[in-house]
Amino acid sequence: MPTDPHVLFAASGPLAMLGWLALALSPLAPRAAQIVAGLAIPAILSVAYAALILVHWADAPGGFGSLADVMALFTDPPVALAGWLHYLAFDLLIGAWIARTAQATGIPHLLILPCLALTFLFGPAGFLAFLILRAAFTARARMIGTPQ
Amino acid sequence: MTIALASPALPDLRRLWTDAPALTLLALILTLGLIPLYAAMALDLRDFHGNSPWLKPVKFHYALAIYAITLAFFARFMPAATRQSRLWRWFTGAVVFAIVAECLWLWGAASLNTAAHFNTDHPIFAAVYSLMGAFAVLLTSASLAMGLSIWRNRATGLPEGLRLSIALGLILTFVLTVITAGYLSAQPGHFVGTPVTGAALPILGWSREVGDLRVAHFLATHALHGLPIWGLIATRMGDARGAVTLVWGGAAAYAALVTATFIQALNGLPLI
Repeated sequence: MPTDPHVLFAASGPLAMLGWLALALSPLAPRAAQIVAGLAIPAILSVAYAALILVHWADAPGGFGSLADVMALFTDPPVALAGWLHYLAFDLLIGAWIARTAQATGIPHLLILPCLALTFLFGPAGFLAFLILRAAFTARARMIGTPQ
Repeated sequence: MTIALASPALPDLRRLWTDAPALTLLALILTLGLIPLYAAMALDLRDFHGNSPWLKPVKFHYALAIYAITLAFFARFMPAATRQSRLWRWFTGAVVFAIVAECLWLWGAASLNTAAHFNTDHPIFAAVYSLMGAFAVLLTSASLAMGLSIWRNRATGLPEGLRLSIALGLILTFVLTVITAGYLSAQPGHFVGTPVTGAALPILGWSREVGDLRVAHFLATHALHGLPIWGLIATRMGDARGAVTLVWGGAAAYAALVTATFIQALNGLPLI
């Protein structure tokens, strides 16, 4: 098991990408995409996260008390890597939720692709984009009944 | 103003979704997209020509949402066969794509605090600006296509004067916008004359000291609102034939108004 945070970082990217690829192709195999992107990969990332925190939290500078504290915390490479894995894991969970919700409410997959890309790059911005898209479809459903 | 202009039966808004789903969805998304835009505007301390860099995407979101929902509304007066044809659906899809691309560029330009229009700072920006010009013509052509379709449609169920006013409004929107906005985009900027110290009309932002080519562009682009409203008034004023005459007169007057504001700006004179 490599302990160099840079090596772990390099390994985490492709793993997350695999999850995003599964979501992008989710109409082909919705259940499999949910298992990969909404469960398996976030779980693997969470194990790595938990281990990093367990090992490195005690010696890390800073804390959660102020922005300066958080910035100090992120100067520590293993903790910064843990923060990165946190992003990767939770962004994927949101991506999986978007794919699930879109499927359940009849939002075409093509329309959620930009939301998924945005969630992948800038997590909450993609979440917001999907909320806007879903609000428009909710308005439509209220006006003319549920989409076919 | 308490003249009853609305027809006794209010228009069925549910038809927006069945007649023009993509345009209706787009209009709603553009409207909701104002939330993050205003949030960015509130946070951004940078200045762009005296305003927030986010003012431009905000203005365009309003303008394009109004344009999209107006087209979605008028779609009901097209022949159903045309509206449901594959060609029309693809065309509408291309128009929606053009509007989305236009907005993405405006967001990007605001984010970079650079000019979305008239930007020649960098070959890439200049190339994007040309591409956006092509997209702008594409999205405006939707009003021409819809106008011609309503022009030829004998079965709208509308009074003749009103039907004509909608068709003419849509067609004029395209013709006048392509002329005024086309000329505007080929200039170094929207002002004609100096000195520009920044005196401007509220909300609209047009110059009060030099010619501003955006005035004619704005009026040209709102023909699809102005003429149908005139058509509603005209059908209330007289018999069917009189209404048609009034609508033709109104179309001529509207074109003359746009021409006058265009010439006024070309001569370096402000609207007010």
